[in-house]
Amino acid sequence: MRAQRAKGQHTMRRWNLAVGAMVALATTILVGTLAFAAPAAAPLPRDSVYQLSVPLTDQQARTADWRTRRGKPQLMAMFYTSCQYVCPLIVDSGKAVEHQLTPAQQQRLGILLISLDPARDDSAALKAVAVKRKLDPARWTLAAPRANDVRAVAGVLGVRYRALSDGEFNHTTALILLDRDGRILARTEKVGSQPDPEFIAAVRKAVGP
Amino acid sequence: MKQATRILAIAVAMALLLPACSGGDANKDKKADATATEDSGGSAKGDLGPPQGEPIKATLTAPPQVPPATGRKAPAKVIVELDVIEKDMPISEGVTYTFWTFGGTVPGSFIRVRQGDTVEFHLRNLPESKMPHNIDLHGVTGPGGGAASSFTAPGHSSRFTFKALNAGLYVYHCATAPVGMHVGNGMYGLILIEPPEGLPPVDKEYYVMQGDFYTTGKYHEKGHQPFDMEKAIEEHPTYVLFNGAEGSLTGDKALTAKVGDNVRLFVGNGGPNLVSSFHVIGEIFDKVWFEGGMRFQENVQTTLIPAGGAAIMDFHVEVPGSYVLVDHSIFRAFNKGALAILKADGAENKAIYSGKEVDYVYLGDRAQPNMQAVTTAAAAAKTGALSQEEQIAAGKALFGSTCATCHQPEGQGLEGVFPPLAKSDYIAADPKRVPSVMLHGLVGPVKVNGKDYNSNMPPMSQLTDDEVANVATYVLNSWGNPGGKVTAAEAAAIRKQTPASASAGH
Amino acid sequence: MRRRLALLLLCALPLAGLAGVAASRYVGLPGGTFRSALKYEDAKQGVRIAPFALMRKPVTNGEFLDFVKSHPEWQRDRVPAVFAEPRYLSHWPTPTTLGPTARPDQPVVWVSWFAANAYCESVGARLPTWSEWEYAAAADETRKDARKDPAWRERILSWYSRPSNEALPRAGLQAPNVYGVQDLHGLVWEWTDDYSSLLVSGDNRNQGDADKAKFCGAGALSMDDRENYAVLMRVAMLSSLEASNATTNLGFRCARSAPRGNTR
Repeated sequence: MRAQRAKGQHTMRRWNLAVGAMVALATTILVGTLAFAAPAAAPLPRDSVYQLSVPLTDQQARTADWRTRRGKPQLMAMFYTSCQYVCPLIVDSGKAVEHQLTPAQQQRLGILLISLDPARDDSAALKAVAVKRKLDPARWTLAAPRANDVRAVAGVLGVRYRALSDGEFNHTTALILLDRDGRILARTEKVGSQPDPEFIAAVRKAVGP
Repeated sequence: MKQATRILAIAVAMALLLPACSGGDANKDKKADATATEDSGGSAKGDLGPPQGEPIKATLTAPPQVPPATGRKAPAKVIVELDVIEKDMPISEGVTYTFWTFGGTVPGSFIRVRQGDTVEFHLRNLPESKMPHNIDLHGVTGPGGGAASSFTAPGHSSRFTFKALNAGLYVYHCATAPVGMHVGNGMYGLILIEPPEGLPPVDKEYYVMQGDFYTTGKYHEKGHQPFDMEKAIEEHPTYVLFNGAEGSLTGDKALTAKVGDNVRLFVGNGGPNLVSSFHVIGEIFDKVWFEGGMRFQENVQTTLIPAGGAAIMDFHVEVPGSYVLVDHSIFRAFNKGALAILKADGAENKAIYSGKEVDYVYLGDRAQPNMQAVTTAAAAAKTGALSQEEQIAAGKALFGSTCATCHQPEGQGLEGVFPPLAKSDYIAADPKRVPSVMLHGLVGPVKVNGKDYNSNMPPMSQLTDDEVANVATYVLNSWGNPGGKVTAAEAAAIRKQTPASASAGH
Repeated sequence: MRRRLALLLLCALPLAGLAGVAASRYVGLPGGTFRSALKYEDAKQGVRIAPFALMRKPVTNGEFLDFVKSHPEWQRDRVPAVFAEPRYLSHWPTPTTLGPTARPDQPVVWVSWFAANAYCESVGARLPTWSEWEYAAAADETRKDARKDPAWRERILSWYSRPSNEALPRAGLQAPNVYGVQDLHGLVWEWTDDYSSLLVSGDNRNQGDADKAKFCGAGALSMDDRENYAVLMRVAMLSSLEASNATTNLGFRCARSAPRGNTR
């Protein structure tokens, strides 16, 4: 059920975009590999979430498979930008976790918020949230997967959701901590500005002193 | 002989009394004394004298709120004005009912006075009411509990005065004939007569009252539902509810508390018929003043509240979460609506309750496949030339998974719906009917073992010829049927002929 | 007339075979507005279901074997743990053979959501949604909606009261329902695409729970039709599962959207 590609004058532009994206992707991979050579070269563990290939488009309109995040522990959660209830708390939770870390530790943790609603969460919408909540793009990535991948991503991360007829979502909330190779180390369903102490301990252990 | 018995009786009595006299274990003595000799004196001792001070107008509250403690140290004159209002309200989502109410709510307003108070009771029946009403307060000593003196026509007000002699939590209800109907329409509530020293203070007090409701329509059948007298007499309620409506204390209207609170519930049961097995899921009642009286039991999980009775219970909240109030006659909770929620907020306490800590794979001890199941499966799948025993074994397995759901595992059928196969005269008349009906179904009237059936059995044409042959052979050789054998070839031939009574099925 | 139809069918069968097994493997269901047994706050008048096709029977061991042979990354000794728990296809004697404990015509079980999803994608299909499943399962042999019939409910309950240590019968043993779909009840639990959208609380006595933060803006789903045990038990089962889980009674079948305007 792939969307039909538009024909005609847009094809050339798309082609350029595709090439550009591929170059960006290649560069990212190259940089990733150079910076964290040893872990990335080893075979991917069988219980790594990166076994699932998930191309993500982020708040800066870059598309990269989430596998490229391998090499650095990650804090992940699922949300959507038009969410009124708990999702603002998800950002608070991420910030609360960061607060518990030293600046050096913060540099060693990637934070990825994945949208449940790729139809409406395009790069502009994601960027608006990132700007509004003052999320440093060096550490925070807000990204949307392809529509067909949302259920699979939620499946590996253990998030449950239901799409409502008005475009809203009911969903469980969880912060998931992954190690360098994408294996789940810890998760907490406690969101808000009071972080779960056991989860924080796991984060500290993952990023090192 | 009589002399000896008397001496024995005296000896026994002395033996029992002696420990009390010798002052052995202090606690034991106290408890023994309390039950044996100490009581409040009942109504004879309940009169604390004439009322003092200015008359007070009682604060009445709508459920689930409770008026504050009276805080009085001396008897007073209390004026209670209670209206009777007949009104249509939702009983469940999309379902309305004509309730008859005290104070506009079901249950009616909560009345709180102190033992020894003189209560001047005004019962006002609104002019729009269709019926006359009265009130029987179980806390009143006097004819009808006040009912004899409060019979009030629409547009009138009655007044009577009583002195509250016995402390406790009491039901009040309308007692106009037919009483069951008035109660069944929601005319009940609670009056608390505080003991002279008051009740121990707590952080939250709530008012919950269970009632059974009888409507002509079924549970959740939408629209306006009238009262059904026959169901009420048969004691088959449609709804069993807390505070007169499904969901009255759930969602946004849930009761609230904080971790660390002492919570008190004043719980009544208006009936008219059912007894309640009242329980709060996830909590234990630290104290229950059972039956609304003066003694309490401790550490109670579920307490019986009789129809026309009440109970007071205190419990302390340790961990946050949603605590569900139910009638533990559990189908009432989940299929008739007897469910309410107390939501407690506050800090977690993992030492007391951890939540689900781990979910891990459990292999069980059957590492090997169930060989019995394997054999059965192999038997069921047999095809080709089989002996009669093999066919019967195979047919039995298939029958269990395909036919038994309607015809039952021993072929008994369901009277009036699915004909029996056991010792069936229909089969005995022509055994070939078994494979034929299996393959083509059966529609239209048929008489089996003297009973009439007129259903639609769909064709089981998805079964292979072997399967049909095996099941038919099993049926023919079971439960007193004539016996015999059906081969796959015969089944194939029957498949090609379609009788007139065949079902269209799909 | 019936005989002519039968003859026609006899001739058509080989043709159907040529057209591809897929032709008779699915049946079409018209869809429409459907009242779920679940209480959806956002769909009080019913759920809209677009026309779709559903497999007549659940996917069998034999069919799944073909799949893992042509997609070896889904064999049980090669599949990533994140896609399937350790007991995946544990009832097969080896990763690529069937045997007495796993006959080719039995519905395949011990499969995870990821494996089921991958199979459906490999045959150009998808898993059905919960609503599609519920809608198809409301039918009996002659009626589109048999749910109010106490006799039908009794049948379903008696299926559930069969002990589960009996061997699974072959797929396709039950009479087709009015749409032509078989085995929706009483054979195996079935994965749906959106199994994880059944947001119920672990203790689903909390109907009407005030906790709106639990599922971000809504409390847990509750049942509208409490006497529909078939659905109640399905919901309970599916809501307890994670995507990589597999059980001895859980299989699946695939669905396809109608060709026009198909989006998930």
